[in-house]
Amino acid sequence: MRPLLSRSLALGAALYLGGCATASRTAPAPEAAPPPAPPPAQAQTPAEPPAPTSVPARPLQQPEPARLVVQAHPDSPIVSFRLVFHSGSVDDPKGKEGLGALTAQLLAEGGTQSLSSAQLLEALFPMAAELDASTDKEFTVFSGRVHKDFLPRFLELFTDVLLKPRFDPQEFERLRSLALSDLRNGLRSENDEALGKVALDALLYEGHPYAHFVGGTEKGLEAITLEDVKAHAARVFTQDRLVIGLAGPVDEQLQRTVVSRLSALPATGAPRVELPAVPTTGGRALVVQKPTLSTAISLGAVTPLRRGDPDFFPVAFALSYLGEHRQLGGVLFNELREKRGLNYGDYAYAEHFIEERGTTYNRTNIARTQQDLSLWIRPVVPDNAMFATRGTLYFLDQLLAQPIPAEKFERSRSFLLGYTRLWEQTDQRRLGYAIDALFLGTPDYLEQYRAALAKMTPESVHAAVRRHVRPESLDFAFVTQNAEGLVKQLKEQASSPITYASPKSLELLEQDKAIGARPLPIRPDAIQIVPADTFMEK
Amino acid sequence: MHHRWLIPLLLVLLGTALPVSAAEQPASPFFPYPMKVDRLPNGLTVIRVPFNSPGLIAYQTVVRVGSRNEVEPGRTGFAHFFEHMMFKGTKNFPEGEREKVIAAYGYDDNAFTSDDITVYHSYGPTAGLLKLVELEADRFRHLEYSEPSFQTEALAVLGEYHKNAALPWLKIEEELSRTAFTRHPYGHTTLGYYDDIKAMPQAYAYSRAFFERWYTPDNILLIIVGDFDDAALMAAVQKHYGPWEGKSASIQLPKEPPQKQERSVHIDWPQSTQPQLLYAWRTPAARLDTSDAAVQAVLGSYLVGSTSPLFKELVLDKQLAQDLDGSTMPHRDPHLFSVSATLQKEANRAAVRASLNAAVKELVTGKVDATRVEAIKSRTRYGLLMNMETAKDVAQQLSWYAGIYGTPDALARHVQKISEVKPGDLVAFARRYLTAANRTVLSLTPQQAGGQK
Repeated sequence: MRPLLSRSLALGAALYLGGCATASRTAPAPEAAPPPAPPPAQAQTPAEPPAPTSVPARPLQQPEPARLVVQAHPDSPIVSFRLVFHSGSVDDPKGKEGLGALTAQLLAEGGTQSLSSAQLLEALFPMAAELDASTDKEFTVFSGRVHKDFLPRFLELFTDVLLKPRFDPQEFERLRSLALSDLRNGLRSENDEALGKVALDALLYEGHPYAHFVGGTEKGLEAITLEDVKAHAARVFTQDRLVIGLAGPVDEQLQRTVVSRLSALPATGAPRVELPAVPTTGGRALVVQKPTLSTAISLGAVTPLRRGDPDFFPVAFALSYLGEHRQLGGVLFNELREKRGLNYGDYAYAEHFIEERGTTYNRTNIARTQQDLSLWIRPVVPDNAMFATRGTLYFLDQLLAQPIPAEKFERSRSFLLGYTRLWEQTDQRRLGYAIDALFLGTPDYLEQYRAALAKMTPESVHAAVRRHVRPESLDFAFVTQNAEGLVKQLKEQASSPITYASPKSLELLEQDKAIGARPLPIRPDAIQIVPADTFMEK
Repeated sequence: MHHRWLIPLLLVLLGTALPVSAAEQPASPFFPYPMKVDRLPNGLTVIRVPFNSPGLIAYQTVVRVGSRNEVEPGRTGFAHFFEHMMFKGTKNFPEGEREKVIAAYGYDDNAFTSDDITVYHSYGPTAGLLKLVELEADRFRHLEYSEPSFQTEALAVLGEYHKNAALPWLKIEEELSRTAFTRHPYGHTTLGYYDDIKAMPQAYAYSRAFFERWYTPDNILLIIVGDFDDAALMAAVQKHYGPWEGKSASIQLPKEPPQKQERSVHIDWPQSTQPQLLYAWRTPAARLDTSDAAVQAVLGSYLVGSTSPLFKELVLDKQLAQDLDGSTMPHRDPHLFSVSATLQKEANRAAVRASLNAAVKELVTGKVDATRVEAIKSRTRYGLLMNMETAKDVAQQLSWYAGIYGTPDALARHVQKISEVKPGDLVAFARRYLTAANRTVLSLTPQQAGGQK
């Protein structure tokens, strides 16, 4: 529910460093100058399988209908509910993009048959209870938290929003208008970083049900009717797509009550969407043009690799080493931000990543049948966009060229052995992992990750990286003001010299020459410009 | 910005004495965990809270410095910039070495700055706690960074400004601060002005002065929450922080003259966004010997919270506004109580403004809904419990309040104050502070109203 926290406070009162240090004032610990990276094609290590031409859809597992997952903690005063439906924006009908997210929002906020939206807010308010909905490509989560003092009343409210929704026309219009504003303002205008990421999704999955913004397209949202919402809820929020998560002071009776109530949901609904294979063409660029001081950059590739595959853990480890999200130790962070001051941070991801609010961890229950590897370059001054992109690829090349040096390998392993424990410190996250495990066939996922880390070697990680990471398969999204100018640079591929306002080591300046000359794997005929105000129009 | 230097030390404005030596506080309805507090002879306050997080601890260092301390012209954004510099190494752990140790344990390690405080936070394994004490004491006592490193980091701060610049809220905050405050450093944002950020690389000498002025043991509180051996922890703290010397600077901040008449500021936003209307009234500093901060916390929810009649009317029923919001965070010096409306469209401005005025007027005339005041107090009490699920959550909450109020038990006392707020207090506060003459009105109009092309 709405916290009373001003956005200005949220912006101004918590300016995060997001970073620290490694540039060398004195001679650093014996880490020799990085060798120039050979082009990835000249592999000296194990022969890799040929690059796949497309990523087929290997269906996720389907847990039994209304499967119950319990994480009991009798000592905790807070009860957590997490209802995860295998339904998301992929289920949006063509021309009604945004229907899934809008339906979930209308259920969570729009009131119940016995309570208007205002009365629902009033009932939840003194409990400080949370009742939220969030939608992604393939999953929708209804989460609730309440102090045990209010459990009976909250249970009624929480289940009523799903079982007896009000479908109030006025609330429908309010939430649709909010969704349109989130698209027209929030996405297109106010957050270049998010826009870059959504643009990359659109490019990677062109023509695929993942392609459109989860929040919807402009024409799609405008076309949706209240009847569409009612029908959609019955089609996709069904028992056969549901996993029920309960945590905290949960006894047998509560489990029985919740399962029994939710058995009133429709048993089945729409057939599962059949996802097409995604071509792994690579070499494309989407330049979103808007007035902005800087250039935001995201790059990535669709990958057949996902949790449960033998190579997933080593590749996840390697990309954490390259750039764990908003942590200080990654190669990209240190090379591009700390040593060169290019921007505020640079990170790498082995699977799709959406930061959970208030943390630096990936959200749970955003699993995807077809995954993507990605790299995120936070906004740079426009003159450095080419250099920053090339720099990112240069350090990715190094990961392919040779195994991670032993000392750094140990440090990264040790980091993840500790850091992954922080990912499972709340009931909602523990439930999230347990539920993801059912769809991905990865029981005890984090334990398994830590066990796998213990067995990895620099060579085994290197071999896995070479099997799955291919710079030539990357696509690129840029958000910038001078789109024509950037496109010209992308086509011409002239070298990108860079100058600094402060002295740099000769070693770094030499490395810059190699970075500035690193070709970008972008095909001149595969670059398109989209004005931000037409992005996600339909 | 006009400022004066004065001799007497007036840094601790609250007059609340910190405990000298040791104190133990049991759990209470206002903070549900026992707390131990020690104060070292050098003035460093050490707060510990055992918490059920097997093998994990949260370790936070709260420095009572923020953008309010940026008194020199052209130096806005410095507290925040300096927070970045704290990661730049020492003689014992040259640049990057601390981070290698931190990373090897798997700590989630970062920092943030507000207008009143700077907080350095690490969250991770208990196994690294004693090493963490050594590392943190080392950088707070012996920070050392080169000018080139300083100049490079200034560019990262510029990158931080860039990533926020597309958001109208940065501009709103800049203009509101500039209009509501004419002399006090609250007149600029924590991030600082763009021109000042661009000039940061030239301010190396100033950065050293800033460190010596504010990074002193008597201006810092350590907060450790989680699973740890208290005796071993305190022995390490004594060993590594005990020899630290230094007294915080004696600067008197420029006093903001009273506001005599309504001020207004308008922003023409060149891009697509929702129109905004914001009211901000000048209000007193947060102190534990007054109820001002607690009343403001309740009043924010009362006026524009999700169960307020204004929210029901403007957001749910008439849909003139997309959302209502309020800012009631306690501040060390007199600051602002603000409410804002995100308008559905520009044409709704007058109607929304009339409704806001009517809601304030109703309160001033003495009409107050006691049931809603009780519901807000209940929400505060349960919200506190809901928001303390991890050791890091608890440390974060303690840091905010201890840092702003300057006393270890500030969170519990603030929550207790909220529990004591009576309906009549809202009326009295509104009569005294929510006047037109004491108000700044900010409006923002996008070029393309409501995001329409």
